[in-house]
Parts: sequence; structure tokens; C-alpha cells
Amino acid sequence: MKRLARLLAIAAGALLAFTVQAQAPRSGGELVFPVPSEPPSYDGHREETFGLIHPFAPFYNTLLRVDPFDKGGTKPAPSLAESWTVSQDGKTYTFKLRQGVKFHDGSEMTSKDVKASYDKIIFPPAGVGSTRKGQYAVVEKVEAPDPATVVFRLKQTSGSFIASLLSPYNFIYKADILAKDMNWYEKNIMGTGPFTFVEHVKGSHVLGKKNPNYWDKGKPYLDGFRAVFMRESAAQVAAIRGERAQIQFRGFTPKDRDNLKAALGDKITVQESPWDCILLVTINHDKKPFDDKRVRRALTLALDRHEGSKALSQIAIVKAVAGVQVPGTPFATPPAELNKLAGYWTDAEKSRAEAKRLLKEAGVADGFSFTFKNRGIPMPYEPLGVWMIDQWRRVGLNVRQEVIEPAGYFGVIRKGDYEVAMDFQCGYIVEPDLDMYKFLSVDRNPANYGRYKDPVLDDLYDKQSRATSVEERKQLIRTFEKRLLEEEAHYLMTLQWNRIVPHSSKVRGWTITPSHYLNNTLDTVWLAQ
Amino acid sequence: MAYYILKRLLAMIPTLLGVAVLIFVLLRIVPGDVVEARYLGQGSQFQSQELMDLERKKLGLDQPLWTQFTTWMAGLARLDFGLSMWTGSPITEEIKLRFALSLQLAIMASIFAQLLAIPLGILAALKQDTWVDYAVRVFSIAGLAMPSFWLGILMILTMLIVFKWVPPMVFTPLWVNPWENLAQLIWPALAVGYRYSAVGTRMMRSAMLEVLREDYIRTARAKGLWLKLILARHALKNAILPVLTVMSLEFAFLLGGLVVTEQVFNLNGLGMLFVEAIARRDYTLTQALVMLVATFFLIVNFVVDIAYAWLDPRIRYR
Repeated sequence: MKRLARLLAIAAGALLAFTVQAQAPRSGGELVFPVPSEPPSYDGHREETFGLIHPFAPFYNTLLRVDPFDKGGTKPAPSLAESWTVSQDGKTYTFKLRQGVKFHDGSEMTSKDVKASYDKIIFPPAGVGSTRKGQYAVVEKVEAPDPATVVFRLKQTSGSFIASLLSPYNFIYKADILAKDMNWYEKNIMGTGPFTFVEHVKGSHVLGKKNPNYWDKGKPYLDGFRAVFMRESAAQVAAIRGERAQIQFRGFTPKDRDNLKAALGDKITVQESPWDCILLVTINHDKKPFDDKRVRRALTLALDRHEGSKALSQIAIVKAVAGVQVPGTPFATPPAELNKLAGYWTDAEKSRAEAKRLLKEAGVADGFSFTFKNRGIPMPYEPLGVWMIDQWRRVGLNVRQEVIEPAGYFGVIRKGDYEVAMDFQCGYIVEPDLDMYKFLSVDRNPANYGRYKDPVLDDLYDKQSRATSVEERKQLIRTFEKRLLEEEAHYLMTLQWNRIVPHSSKVRGWTITPSHYLNNTLDTVWLAQ
Repeated sequence: MAYYILKRLLAMIPTLLGVAVLIFVLLRIVPGDVVEARYLGQGSQFQSQELMDLERKKLGLDQPLWTQFTTWMAGLARLDFGLSMWTGSPITEEIKLRFALSLQLAIMASIFAQLLAIPLGILAALKQDTWVDYAVRVFSIAGLAMPSFWLGILMILTMLIVFKWVPPMVFTPLWVNPWENLAQLIWPALAVGYRYSAVGTRMMRSAMLEVLREDYIRTARAKGLWLKLILARHALKNAILPVLTVMSLEFAFLLGGLVVTEQVFNLNGLGMLFVEAIARRDYTLTQALVMLVATFFLIVNFVVDIAYAWLDPRIRYR
């Protein structure tokens, strides 16, 4: 009996050892992935597209990063900074930098480089563009007291400051290069990342090879990567299906997922996550009758989001019914509570009856016509647009859709040349300060296309941003959400995007997050045999 | 002849000027510009008017339209296309990168099309109203009815489902790896060439039918000349003129017009560059591409006209 037990223990141990060995990262191989967009320049401080992140993030490091294995995509992890501390008053953040980190040209990375990079982002000199300057309005100055320490001094406390440092765009550049030419990084690449730059053939591909001197010893696992620019989603799917590529990091449609799974079976692994992107409906408060909150509320009440979610998630990249935060994330309103808001009720008939009553009360006649402007992008603008028009017709509104070509779309909306239109928000991290900034009064944020001013909403935003306890912040966010989506109905939420990444089962060490801007450094990714 | 050539060359200048004015004005009428396309479409919560103004200033978009136009024209006169507003790279570099692929594809599609169109057209004319003629007509009408990109999608799906294989994703020049190069380009060349051949086949058939009814063909036949000789020496030379015109214009079109086919096969060619330039409101690049294609059309037309005189000695230019 004892012998049997011992044999079983040995077998179990061997099995465990085998499993561990089977899961141990394997070095070698080239990761090939299509990228649906190509960036105008290589400068992360200037660009906003994921087309920059997917092929170029592997050449750089940031000060902090989101933990590459955190599916929620919010947990801060060290990168070039080994550790950090926050002062008692919450206004000074001190970062200790990793020692022995080298740029690809062999020079040492020090606090001088971090300071120069952040100075470029936060305080760009005249003539230098920084897309994210506004995001760091709270920063008073950046200091480098010694080569291994960086200090950020804030004007006031900020609940989202650490999250803002997780931006995958904040590449650390070399100070000496920036001192000579602030725009050098627009056309050149030189970082501390796990891969070194080999070539970029415009319109075609980017090649990177393993950085043998990478500071994180043993990484990266891949010998290199090849990012191939492909606009057409059918071509991307064909590349995965034909096993020419292993993964496309942005995401595919439910139909593409099903087709790939049906064709390749176990050779395909599917990762899904709520996506930190959402289509919103912006309502022009300067146009009658949309200046009347009863009309705006009727528009939201008309949408049966719960049924819409069931139907649309079969054909489009949308799924969850959402408030101002991605469902399931720390500050998101739980569904039971969210369903109490007008427009989120589970009884669609009750909602529609209320919508009709409000329209009548506001003097809007049955059959009232208006134009809904939509952006000329098929997925998911087209199915959501069609769905909403159908929903509004059910409460007696006659809606005409006008589709505008993507490049000119936001110019038209920004000028206020619309009644009701589709708007879009996408973030690199789920963080209330970032996600709710969009809804501030137009004099605080020009990206508020509804053109309203709401000091109460602004005040709630500021209070939640400075809140010191999580519970207090949650309550303030709920109040903000109720005012935005129900009481004033300034904006309408459609459905949260759903990110679907079907990839070759050989791809390991990559975890999906709610943002397609995250987790593209590729240092943890490896290819199984 | 020399006078005619000079006259035709000089006539190209006002034509190109007209194209330049048209494209310049049309691009400015369409809503949006490169700065909006770059900074407003990404769903970002933060927007900076200051940054957008700075970018417009850098690109010269804050200048009056007349100044923008004259600056562009002055550059064109020096054969300087300027910089792409999207990438900031020289436009000649952007075009050069894609030109080899587009040219090779156009040549391959043309060769395939002509190899099909000329014999099939002659055959259909010779066997008029027989099953051969009907078969050729059905084949060519199918080619006309089927968009080449759709045929391309069918090809890719067939290769995927039957052979579990797709063409390479990245262009390799012919001289670097001929096999890899052909493995990528043969499929779009077939898809495009088939449609292109359909036009040629129908044109060849009708031109040949007309020529075959001419008295000099009847005389040649009555003399007992060998049919192949009649076709090659007398009929083909006369029937090929309209076919040459159509095929040449198709060739010019292939250089910049294979927009969807290039997308389907993920080819980094001029057609794709064209679409992206328009979608990004890259005025300078779009303008340069339009001028390039217009110039190409004019040159092809000009060469065809000269070839007419060479093929048909009755034609004289003054």
C-alpha cells in the first residue's frame, strides 16, 4: 500500500514537473501579426493611434506599465521604475529607477532621460506638439535629483496620477537626443525596449529583433517580430486562418471568431474581454427640441439596451450594457443598480411609454423627424446606427441617417453641424478621471460635442477625482452617472464594445485586457512548438 | 510627324494644369483635413486646439488657398512633389516604394489579358455563331460581370479551404526571390487580368469580324492564301487598332486604380496609397498621385496614337 502511495506520489510529481515544463516559456521564433492601421510618425508623445503601439511599443519602455497578466488592465507594475512612494500630502511621487538599463545605442538610461521625456509630454517647448499635455495638467514639475530618482510634484492630489503614468504612449526617450532635436523621434526609433528596430517598409511591415542586452534577463523570448500592415479585416482573418500570422491584437468580429474556430479548432485560442471603447450618442444642446432634457431623456428611454445587447452581440463587436465605466471594473455601477436608471430599465414597454409621454409633454409631435449623423465605418457604427433608428421609430420618431466619411466626420460634429450624432470614446486604461473627462462642460473640454455647460457635473467630476476613499469616489461617480445619463441625459451610452482576439494556440504569455493599446511590449510573449 | 509630336506634348500642359486645379479645389471642398483625420478620430478624451493649430501652421494649411496653390505649382514646375502631409516623408519616396509592385502587377495582368484576349477574340470571330463563339462570349461576359476583387476573394477562399494556403503577405521584389514574388502577385494578376481580358476579347472579336468582311480579305482568300497568313499579315494588323487603344487605357488604369483588389490581397501598391491618402486628407500626396496617373494616361494615349501610324501606314499625322 505504502509502495503504491509512493508510486502515485512520484507519478503526480512527474506530471506536475511535466506540466510546469510544458508551461515554461520557450525562447525563439518570430511572431507575425497584422496591424490594421499605420501611424503617421514614430513619436508616441504625439500620436494617438493603436497603429503606433502595436508595431513600435516593443522598441520602448515606459516608467510604469500595466501588469501584463492583469486581465482587468488596471494594475500598475514596475517597468523602468522599480518602485515608487507617495508623500503624505499626496502631492509628491518619487520613483526609483532600475539600474543598468541601456538604450539600444549602448548608453545608460538615467533619470535625466525620464525627466526629458516627461518634460516633452507635459511642458513641450514652443513648436513641439504633445497630444497628452492636457492629461497632466495636475503636474507642477518633474525633477531628477539623482541619476536613479525621478520626482513628480503635483499642484493638487490626484486619484488618477499613477494611472496616467501607465499610458503605453509615454515612451522614455534619450535626453541627449531630445536636447539636440525635439522632433527626432518622429522619424527615428531608439529606446530601451525588448526589441531593436530593424526596418519599416511604409505601407508594408515593421521588423524587430530581440534585444540581447535587455535589462530583464531572459526576456524577450521571441527572436523577433514582424508587424504587417493590413487594412482589410478579411485579409487579416485569412492571414490567421492560413497560419501566415499568429495574432491580430486589436480584435475581430464574432463571425470572424466563429469562422476561425470552425476552421482551425484547437489550433485557435479565443480571448475575450469587455473593451474600453464605446459609441455614444451626442445630442446638440444648441438645437431645438434637443435643448429640452425631456426630449433627450425620451431618446435614451427608447433604447432597449438589454434586448439590443443580446441581438447585436451576435453580429457586432458590442456586448455589455454600460454606464460611464466598463462593466466589471472597480468603479462600474453593478447591473442591478444601473438598471434603475432611465433607459436601462428591463421593461422595454414601460420605457417606451415613458418616452412617448415625455415627448408629448415637451410638445414633440408624433412622427417628428430629425437627422442622425453617423460615421462611415461599418463596424460597429453601421449595426448600432440601424438599431437605434429602429428603436427611436418605436416611440414615434422619424429618423433619417446621414453617413459621413470618417476623415471629415468629427470636423462636422465639432462645428455643431448636427442634431443627433454618433460619438466615440476609447481609452488606454479604465480610470474614471480619463473616462469621464469627455462629459465635462464644453468650456473645459472641446471634445464635448453636445456643447452643454453643466457646472454641477463638473463639480462632481472634480470631487471624485480628489476623493481619498474608494467608497466616497464610487458614490460620487454614481451621482455623476445619474446626472449625465438620466437627469440631464446629456449623452447616451450605446453598448460597451467587446474585444475578441482569436489567436494561434502557439501564442503564449499574452493576456487580453479591456484596452487594445495595452500589453504590446511583447517581452512576455512566447511561441509554443 | 515631329510637328505633331511637339503639338501633342505641348497640349499636355493645359490638360495637366486643368487636372491640377480640379483636384486642388475638390480636395478642399470635401470636409475635414489631415489634422482632423490625425487627431479627432481616435476617440481620445483630450483634445488640444493649440496642437491642431500648430500642426496646421507646420503644414501650411493656415495659408490662403491661393498661396497654397502657387506653392504647389512652383514645386511641380521643379518636379518637386513636396512632403506627404501625413508622414512628412518626401512624396517621391512614398511613390517609389509602391511603384515597383504596381508596375509589375499591371504588366503581369496585361500579359495575361493579352494572351487570353487576342487568340480568344480571333477564334470567336473565325467561328462566329458556333459553340466556340458562344463559349468565348460567355467567358468574356462573365469576366466583365465579375468584379476582379470579388474574383480575388473567391481565389483566396478557395486556396484557404482547399489547399489551406494563402499568398505571402509582404512584397518581395522579383530579383530578390522570384518564387515568393510570383506566389504573391500571380493571383491578383489573374483576377485583374481576367476582367481586363474580357474587354479585350470582345473588342478583338468585333474588330476582327469587321475586318474579315473586308474585300481585301476576301481577295486574299480567293487567291488561296493560307488562313494563318491572312490573319497574321492582313486581318490582325487592322483589327488590333481599337483593341490596342482599349488595352492601353486599361493598362494606365491598372497602375493606380486597383484599389479594392490591392486591399483584398493586401498589396502595398499605388491604389492602396491613393485610398489612404484620400482617407487621411493628405492633400499633397493625393495631388501628386492624381498628377502622376493623369500624366501616365496622357503618355499612354500619346504612345498609342504614335503606334497607330506605325501599325497602319495609311494614318499620317500633320
